[in-house]
Parts: sequence; structure tokens; C-alpha cells
Amino acid sequence: MLSRDGWAGLAVLAASLVLFWLTLGLKGNPMVPIGPGFYPRIVLGITAALALLLVGADWAAARKRAAPPEARAQRNYRLVAVMFLVFGVYCGALPYLGFRVATLAYIAASNALLDAPRGARGARGWGRVGLVALIATVVIYYVFEHYLLVLLPRGRWTGF
Amino acid sequence: MFELLGTALVHLMQVKYMVPLALGTLAGIVGGALPGVTITMTIIVVLPFTFGMDPLQGLAAMTGVYVGGSAGGLVTAVLLGLPGTPSAIATTFDGHPMAQRGEPGRAVWTGVWASVFGGLIGGVFLIGATGPLASIALQFGPWEFFSLFILALSMVAGLVEASLLKGLIAGALGCVVTVLGTDPVMGQERLTLGVPFVRGGIDFLPVLIGVFAFAQIMTEVERVGGVERAAHAAQRKLSLAVSHAKVLWDIVSRPFLLLWTSFIGVLIGVLPAIGGSAASMMAYDQAKKFSRHPEKFGSGVPEGIIASESSNNANVGGSLVTIMAFGIPGDAVTAVMLGALTIHGIQSGPLFISQNAQLAYGIFAAYLVAHLLMVLILALGARWMLRVVTVPKAALFPVVLVLCTVGAYALNNTMSNVYVLLVFGVLGYAMVKFGFPLAPFILGVILGDQIEINLVRSIMTDSDLWLFLTRPISGTLLAMSVGSLLLSLWQHRRQQRKLAASGEDADF
Repeated sequence: MLSRDGWAGLAVLAASLVLFWLTLGLKGNPMVPIGPGFYPRIVLGITAALALLLVGADWAAARKRAAPPEARAQRNYRLVAVMFLVFGVYCGALPYLGFRVATLAYIAASNALLDAPRGARGARGWGRVGLVALIATVVIYYVFEHYLLVLLPRGRWTGF
Repeated sequence: MFELLGTALVHLMQVKYMVPLALGTLAGIVGGALPGVTITMTIIVVLPFTFGMDPLQGLAAMTGVYVGGSAGGLVTAVLLGLPGTPSAIATTFDGHPMAQRGEPGRAVWTGVWASVFGGLIGGVFLIGATGPLASIALQFGPWEFFSLFILALSMVAGLVEASLLKGLIAGALGCVVTVLGTDPVMGQERLTLGVPFVRGGIDFLPVLIGVFAFAQIMTEVERVGGVERAAHAAQRKLSLAVSHAKVLWDIVSRPFLLLWTSFIGVLIGVLPAIGGSAASMMAYDQAKKFSRHPEKFGSGVPEGIIASESSNNANVGGSLVTIMAFGIPGDAVTAVMLGALTIHGIQSGPLFISQNAQLAYGIFAAYLVAHLLMVLILALGARWMLRVVTVPKAALFPVVLVLCTVGAYALNNTMSNVYVLLVFGVLGYAMVKFGFPLAPFILGVILGDQIEINLVRSIMTDSDLWLFLTRPISGTLLAMSVGSLLLSLWQHRRQQRKLAASGEDADF
């Protein structure tokens, strides 16, 4: 049975083989003796060979592994997945909602996800979340747009 | 050289340079003091603020972050026992016991002054060695550059703490990123995978920001709530009053220790992507071995703090040499600085110092002045640093990610880089979870194009591949690459045998 190293090796092997196959369709350039696929093939070949070695090493080690893996520290992977999802939504929403609206919503949502206001002080907690999001958005927007002259994304739907 | 340095120091004294330098140093100290926020993340956050500045302003700010961050970690390491940055871990061993013994001021200031001395020794090396090393690099042809980059990659892959095989795969994957998009020699499209934003190639800065920022933040998110101890500890009232003359004597009365550990810091800094944490641990180990009373290490002796902090800051000087002489980033922080140089249209490498002497000496001057600013800022605000660690991460992390997004977006004002940031953020986190080191990956992304360009150039000049081995410098560099890999293999095997003997599972 493969461990996470073996599975990671297989994933890298598959990706590098697919890309290697794609390089076979690259056409050479008469101006340059070596085509655009020359270096990618070397790199992808080496990557595939190393990945194969990793799978092999893991497979060999699996035969020696007798004891079950140690219990790992409790990790909140669901929260990580949700945080990635929220960030993905933020990236997707930026061109439609614009920097100001999307950032305000993103900071508030992430802050609430990481430290949800609960109990008797819930209302105050939500106020703090909103305030942090508002101040951070205004400060970042002001500094970049007015001081550093970086034109931040405008929203197609909101118009600003 | 000294005339140029003097001119640069005078030039730097203008308000327009001193303000970003001071703010950068302050940001570095604060970022360094925050457990879980590394210097890399701080410099990533500062990066977008430098886009609107002139090159020296931006690089002065970044140099300030680098210098400040290297020392900022020591405050929380000493007073709370929580290293603000990985490079301050060794400081905790003796700094925290000394503070607990009732000498917090002595512990903090021994660290601060040792950082200054170490940093200045690193500065002497930086100023003295960059020019001569760059002159050597000017003799290089494409064969030598190709071999040098291969050596850098093999060293990084071999010296990482994870398995050698995973280090090599990470480096190779970094190079794979550079083959997506366009051929750097003829600009021909290749391996775009049908994704529009890959057509122009993948910029390394959003990759770097995504990989490091997400890997770090998401790893912290997994264990949100784990820093409460710092908040409580910060409530304690502490006096950092100390006799500076006594602290300085503590340091200068041990010249061999100071010089040796600073030398270790410089040496580790010159080697690509090993970083300050390895430098300070190695220096601490050396200080213990050379000490007449090694048994006292860990109980709060000044030697432990001096070793860790002097090597840590000397490491910064070494890292800057590698980037300024060869264009190879010494670590993740200098990789971001390399990106900043590119944004300002400046090519790093052997020609950097001769073509941009004013900027190069400006960086040297900023490096020296940042140490003095660091002392000033810590003298005024060391006690306030403890309050900084109470900033809730729930509020901090989203703001940091927004700044990363702005940094990626502002590179060329398109959303493409933001999507690259997201994709590589996921990949960086996955790599960390699967035990793949990030340093070789990033170095692969940075050097991949250069490796290809030099390989193609050398073959176009002469199709004889034996030249890579028969040209003396190139052959030596390739032999060193093989030697470095064999050495790492031997070290990993030895470690594996030790672990096997102790009944634990080992990682090849």
C-alpha cells in the first residue's frame, strides 16, 4: 500500500508524462537548431524519472512498514478548504464587484470564519468584524490608489 | 569603493529614502516579532507598496524589512519563549531562560547588539566581496552560468531537511513551471494547456507570493487558536532597563565567538536558500562546541544569544552578496527583492554592480543604516512589541492575503497574476502537506528560464556538449553539483541508519 509520498509521486509522474507527450506536438523553428520542446523534454523527463524513483522508494519502504502510522495532531482541514474556497470566490468576484466591495466582503467573511463571534457578545463581535473589514479596505484602497497610484480592479456590475 | 559608499550614505540621508527605510525596518521588526509571520511574508506584504517608488526607495524599504525582521524575532523569542521567526529559534534556548531568571533587558539587548555586530560584519563582507565576485562572474560564458545554476539547484535540493528525492522533485517542478507559456529564446508559444493567462508565461513573483503566503497562512489556519499563550504572557509588565556598556562588553569580550558565528552566518547566507534558521542553529552548535562550559548552554548564557543573533544578521549580508554578484537569490526574501529589481527594469547578476553602481552602493548604505535604525526602533518600542503579538490572527490573515492579491495584481494590472497566485497558493499548501520543500521549487521557478537560455546559447555557439565538462570552471561547478548531491545522499543515508537504529521510520 502506497503512502502519501507514493501518491504524490504518482501525481507528479502522471502530470510530467502528460506534459512530455504534449511537447511531442511542438514544431521546431528553422532559426534555432534546437526546437522549443528540447529543454521541456529534458526537464519533464528528469521530473518523471525522479517521481518514478519516489514511487519505487515508497513501494519498497511499504514492504518494511509494519506499524500503523502514528496518530497526528488534530488539524482543522475543513477550515483550510473553506478559506481556500472563500479566497477563490474573492478572486472570481473581483472583476465583477470591484476591489472595494469584494475586499470588504472577503475580509469580513474570512475574519468571521476564523473567529466567529458567538454568545452574549456576538453583536459586538460582528461589529468588530465589520469595522476591521471596513478600515482595512479603506486604508488599502486609499494607500494604493491615491499614494502608490495602483489602479485597483473596478467592478463590471457595480461600476466602481 | 569607500568613496562610492560615502556618497551613497550621504545620498541615502534624504528624507525620501530614510522614510521607506525606517518604515521597512519597523515593518520587519513587527513582522519578525509576530509568531507565525516570517520575514518572507512581511517582505511579500511590503512588496506592493514599493511599486510606486523609485528603485532605491523600494529596495531600501526591503533591505530594512530584511534587517529588522532578522532581529525582530528575538524580542518574542526572549520574552515569551516564542520565536517570532524560525531564525530566532536558537535565541530562545538561552534568551528565554535569561529573561526568566530576571534579566529580560540583558537578554534582549545582548541579542540586539549581537545582531548589530553580526550585521555589520556581514556588511563588510557584502561590500568587500560583491564586486570581486561579480568580476569573476563576468568571465563566465553560457556553459559556466548553466553549470552555476545547476549547482545552486542541486545544493538547495540536497541541503533541505526533507528527503533528497523530494528536494530534487521540488526543484524540477519549479523548472517545469518555466516551460509553460513561451519559449524564452524565440518567444514561441508552448504548453499553454489552453489556459489564456499561461500564454505569456508565468511570472515568478505571483508564484512565489502564492506558494509562500498560502503555505504559511493555511498551515496556521489549521491550528487557529494556538497562539493564545502569547496574548496572556504579553500582559506581564517587564522592565527592559539595562546597562548598555555591560551588554556591549559581554559581546566584545568574546571576539572569537562573534567573528566565528558571524562568519558561519555569512557562509550560510552565500549558499542559496538555506536561510537564517540553519545559520543560527549551526552557529549555536559551534558556540557550544568551542565553549569551556558547554553544559551551561540552555540555562541563559550570553554566548548562546550572541551566537544565534550575530549569525542570523550576518546571514543577511551573505544572501545579498549572492543576488548582487550572481543574480541567484540567497533565500526567499532575496527572491522577492530580485522580483522588485525586475519590476523596476533592473537586471540582477554580474553586471548589476557595474551598470547600477549608485543603486548597488545605495543598498549597501541602506543595509548599514538599517542596523542603526533597528537599534533605535527597538530602544523606543521593544516593550510595545509584546502587544503586537496579541493582534488576532483572524483579523491579520485576511488582510495579509488581500495585500498579496494587490501585490500580484499590481505587477501588470491584470487579473491573470491573481489567478496564478490562487493556483500556486493551492499547490504550495499541497506541497507542504506532502512534505515537499518550497525552497528548491522557488529556485527552480526563478532559475528555470536562465538554465534554458544558457543551455540553448551554449549549444547554438558550439554543439559540442563535452564543453560543459571540459571548460575548467563549468566542469568544476558540475563536479561540485555531483559532489553536493552525493554528500547529501550520504548524509541522508547516515540519518536514515541512525533513525532505523532508534526504531523510527526514516524518509529517503
